[in-house]
Amino acid sequence: MTEQAILQIMDIRKDFSGLEVLTSVNFTVGANERFAVIGPNGAGKTTLFNVISGKFPATSGAVLFKGRDISSQSAYRRARMGMARSFQITNIFQQLSALDNVLAGVRSHQGLRYNLLRRPHHDQRLIELSEAILERIGLQDYRDVPAQELAYGQQRALELGVTLSCDPELILLDEPTAGMSRKETEDAIQMISRVTRDIACVIIEHDMNVVFTLADRISVLHYGVILACGAPDEIRCDQKVKDAYLGEDES
Amino acid sequence: MMPKTKPAYLWAWPLGLALLAALPWILPPYQLRLVTEATIFSLYAVSYNLLLGYAGLLSFGHAMFFGVGAFAAAVVINSMEGVPLFLALAMATALTTLAGLVVGLLLLRVKGTPFALLTLAFNALFYAIAVKWHTVTGGDDGLTVFPSVVNFGLLSLDPGKGPDMYYLTVLVIGLAVAFCCYFTRTAMGQSVLLIRENEERMRFLGYNTNVARLMLFIITGALAGLAGSFYAIFNSFVSLDAISIEMTTKVLLMTFIGGTASFAGPIVGAFFYTYVQDFLSDLTDNWPLIMGTLFILMVLFAPGGLSGLVKSLAARLPGAKDKGSDRDD
Amino acid sequence: MSEIAVFFLHGLAYAGLLFLVSSGLTLVFGMMNVLNFAHASFYMLGAYFALSLLHITGNFWLALIISPLLLMALGMVIERFLLRKVHVLGHVHELLLTFGIAYILHEGVKWIWGTSPQAMAVTGILADTVSLMGITYPVYRLFIFAVSVILGLLMALVLFKTRIGITVRAAVDDSAMVGALGINVPRLFMGVFAVGAALSGLAGVTAGPLLSVFPGMAESILIDAFVVIVVGGMGSLGGAVLASFIIGQLQSFGVILFPEFSLALIYMLMALVLVVKPEGLFGEKQ
Ligand SMILES: Nc1ncnc2c1ncn2[C@@H]1O[C@H](COP(=O)(O)OP(=O)(O)OP(=O)(O)O)[C@@H](O)[C@H]1O
Ligand SMILES: [Mg+2]
Repeated sequence: MTEQAILQIMDIRKDFSGLEVLTSVNFTVGANERFAVIGPNGAGKTTLFNVISGKFPATSGAVLFKGRDISSQSAYRRARMGMARSFQITNIFQQLSALDNVLAGVRSHQGLRYNLLRRPHHDQRLIELSEAILERIGLQDYRDVPAQELAYGQQRALELGVTLSCDPELILLDEPTAGMSRKETEDAIQMISRVTRDIACVIIEHDMNVVFTLADRISVLHYGVILACGAPDEIRCDQKVKDAYLGEDES
Repeated sequence: MMPKTKPAYLWAWPLGLALLAALPWILPPYQLRLVTEATIFSLYAVSYNLLLGYAGLLSFGHAMFFGVGAFAAAVVINSMEGVPLFLALAMATALTTLAGLVVGLLLLRVKGTPFALLTLAFNALFYAIAVKWHTVTGGDDGLTVFPSVVNFGLLSLDPGKGPDMYYLTVLVIGLAVAFCCYFTRTAMGQSVLLIRENEERMRFLGYNTNVARLMLFIITGALAGLAGSFYAIFNSFVSLDAISIEMTTKVLLMTFIGGTASFAGPIVGAFFYTYVQDFLSDLTDNWPLIMGTLFILMVLFAPGGLSGLVKSLAARLPGAKDKGSDRDD
Repeated sequence: MSEIAVFFLHGLAYAGLLFLVSSGLTLVFGMMNVLNFAHASFYMLGAYFALSLLHITGNFWLALIISPLLLMALGMVIERFLLRKVHVLGHVHELLLTFGIAYILHEGVKWIWGTSPQAMAVTGILADTVSLMGITYPVYRLFIFAVSVILGLLMALVLFKTRIGITVRAAVDDSAMVGALGINVPRLFMGVFAVGAALSGLAGVTAGPLLSVFPGMAESILIDAFVVIVVGGMGSLGGAVLASFIIGQLQSFGVILFPEFSLALIYMLMALVLVVKPEGLFGEKQ
């Protein structure tokens, strides 16, 4: 493994018609690193993900992915380059089966997007790849169940599955355990640490247990700026962070 | 969604094909004409439903492509002496494809209601051009079309003869409809469905949803153009009617009355519309009023169309199996 | 010089009609998010009702008042018993419904009044001409423009100075928010829909003597009204005023400058707006 950076966030600013949500955000994520972003509600974490993944452009600053400036690339191009994201609010294909949900990404990764002759459901390889993903997220027994009929925890797992489906090199996970029970959260941590064994991951979380278990490095986003950035132990002891965030969280 | 193999129904294929082949001997000429016409409109409606039912794109301008196809076929056949019919059809379809590209590039910049509005406006533009461009379209007089005989080696078919025209239609239009059905299972067809379901997620999975929509718009336009070409050849005549808003209304009524939620719905609608029009127009000149009322009643009370009604009736029958893969939302 | 003045005045008259039709269309769209394909049919019905009223009463002024009232009633019925029913089914069904209504009204008019164009005559001062700065000009066209200006001002007065008007504007800006204002939203929708229908009908009555009355009149103004709201911005009343003016003038001068392509001018304008500013001159980004 090279220690080269996969993602570089350089001086990102974002404002929504006057409301400045991100003031100046800088950090670098190494290949194969698990990087956590924490911060209070409304700190701008999801906005940061939207900028990185290309949902909307930053007001200023640059996003470098695998060393290339992708700031002006559209979301679908970033996805094709190997960046995938999940959503805080489950954002899957509700009417489709679990298999079809992951198949969408699997075939996109294989370049089978607009083909007028080939039928994805008749391609054994695609089906096998999709089933492999369902197995990784523990939904192999729910292959043909419409997403909307799955339990909440399973839908969150499928959210992760869809994110993994285009075989990304970097995944951005936006509160993957939001709304889960303790048991479900335990499972989710297991699952995430398994699937990120050899890919980079940026994860937004509120659950400190999840963050300190999973993350190699943590940065604290506080109203638009990075307050601190470092290994879990450094963050735990950081006085600024304690004052601004951890303190209120533990009370 | 998953392909189902039903070996029990395999015998139905040869039987159905035999029935189709035998139809000219079974039906009187007038009835055969109706079947031919309804078949042509089936392609028109099926192509329309790929937009409306599959992609959720409501267009009020499908007749512009139907009309371009019709006029293009007529002009090619008339201006190139003895041009093979299939070449003429190919050229007309190519021209419709081009029209679809230009219109699509412009109109697909907006979505939803503004898109619906613009399709109607552009249909009106195409109509106005056809009226004004007298030298090409014949204006209010229209154009007569006399296509040449198609030779398949031993067999030759004369589009001017009822049974021959029927065979040509069943062959070409039948294949096109079959392609549409196949299309819904292809990567492209599935992508269109998924984009309608969750466009944002599709973008984050690497799909350029704008390109997908444009491709679909062009493809469905080209298919409507092919139907239009056949319509011109079938009538040996093409008038402004082919490119009018009425022609758009027609496909809308057919598709919706038949049902947008299933592939077969628009085909049912095309046959229903053709036969009911034929029946009603003998009784009253105001048959469109009846058709329109039926349409409104269906929008209000049976938004699934005829095929939706049949489905919900079937579901209520004792012993009805699973709900099936209903895409209605 | 005087030629130009005449065509300018012609353009103003048509702009007046367009504004009366498109203002209702754009307000209803802004509030209810429904593009009413039947809106121009109200214009056509207004003209036909006036035609029949003129036959019965012989009085144009009476027709000018009663016909829009009839359309207001029709608008209420359509909103209350048809549109509101399909609202739950979503956008596509609402559009399909209004399209179906337009189709039925079109066919119904052909059935009742026949397909051939019918002249509608005005008498008295309206049939006169006036001399204006050296040109003689028909009073009637000026009358049309005056009617639209008066109604435009009235609309502005209601929208900006009354409680109900302020609510309507709030609803156009943010249709999700009205529910929170503690007012009867369905009734507000019905009211705006009905007033829009009446305005459209009024435009139809005034258009009758100018353009004659025929079943295709709905379709022709519908397209122009669509262009107005695309160019002006969907949901924007100010945009409707400006775009009506531009298109009225383009229409009028187009006919003399490029008789074959007058329509193309309008479409070129629309295409230009779509490419440069798809949300329209005064529209908000989606
Ligand atoms: N598209 C937008 N337009 C305007 N304001 C926005 C937009 N998206 C986010 N905001 C604002 O930006 C701020 C940060 O929102 P964001 O969703 O990024 O926070 P977050 O850190 O993800 O919070 P949470 O922990 O609740 O998910 C909020 O005040 C929000 O209202
Ligand atoms: Mg968030």
